[in-house]
Amino acid sequence: MKRILLLIFFLNIVLAVNAQKYMTKNGYIGFFSHTSMEDIKGDNNQVVGAIDISTGEMVFQAVIKSFHFDRALMEEHFNENYMESDKIPKSSFKGKITNLSSVDFSKNGTYDVTVEGDLIIHDITNKISTKGTIEVVSGGINANAKFNIVPEDYKISIPGVVRDKINKNLEVTVAMKYAPLTAK
Amino acid sequence: MKTYVKIAIFVVAFIALSAILAGLYLYNLKHTDMAKARPDFIITATALQKEFEINETTASAKYINKVIEVTGAIASVTQAGGNNLNISLKTGNDISSVICTFPAIVDPSKFKTGDIIALRGECSGFTQLFPGEPPLDVLLNNCAVIVHK
Repeated sequence: MKRILLLIFFLNIVLAVNAQKYMTKNGYIGFFSHTSMEDIKGDNNQVVGAIDISTGEMVFQAVIKSFHFDRALMEEHFNENYMESDKIPKSSFKGKITNLSSVDFSKNGTYDVTVEGDLIIHDITNKISTKGTIEVVSGGINANAKFNIVPEDYKISIPGVVRDKINKNLEVTVAMKYAPLTAK
Repeated sequence: MKTYVKIAIFVVAFIALSAILAGLYLYNLKHTDMAKARPDFIITATALQKEFEINETTASAKYINKVIEVTGAIASVTQAGGNNLNISLKTGNDISSVICTFPAIVDPSKFKTGDIIALRGECSGFTQLFPGEPPLDVLLNNCAVIVHK
């Protein structure tokens, strides 16, 4: 009897720990550039993301070749010339919600948050801070954010001839629908 | 003007026009329709994921950028964060899958968990949330349904 109680006790700890982690494998990260010459949009629907609601930690990983552009030639340039995705296949983010106490994960609703952390693109790490929202829904958590990045900050060199076709700032949109990580 | 000059001008104009049209064609080229593309590999989801698990470097060199026709049972159908449809195929283990994203909006109601399906797409790589851990999922993009039982 004592052994069974001990096992239940330990299982509860493990389950409780995992009950704090939420994950998605179908996260969305897109970026958008608007110029008078043309609009460029890249969409990635296979972003892996996880959030730990007890610590506010958030991680994302995006495979660069999964960014989809309407025009095949643009996608080719993006991968071969700008991102060098054969050499650097992934991009990631590791950070946390700085105002975690203002989010009540037990109550459905939308909460304004600030997220800070390291954004690693093209093997260059930059600290970023962005406002976003955490939406607590039945059975999950949705996270959304929009922020700007400057390609040159990540040693992404865009040749002079096309520089005017791409905005100095790229608008990045993040949309995640997390589900609880179930203990296996 | 002499006849040969006229012909020369005509030829140069023709070449220039062809070059411009070819350039415009390439510039606006959309992605290959996977339903019509010839697959480089035909493999089950389980076998594909296993190859990445055994050696991610070898598997990456073998499969990334190639057209893969993958067969398996549907593990989940998800409206991705950006509203595209993602179909995950079951593999040999519970946590890994092969994720296929469709290029355009596709009606999700046709697909049920457990359906056996063959999808053709371009392999873009694999995810691995924490380095040192085994690869999580193999990713296919620009997918088209080939067979749906």
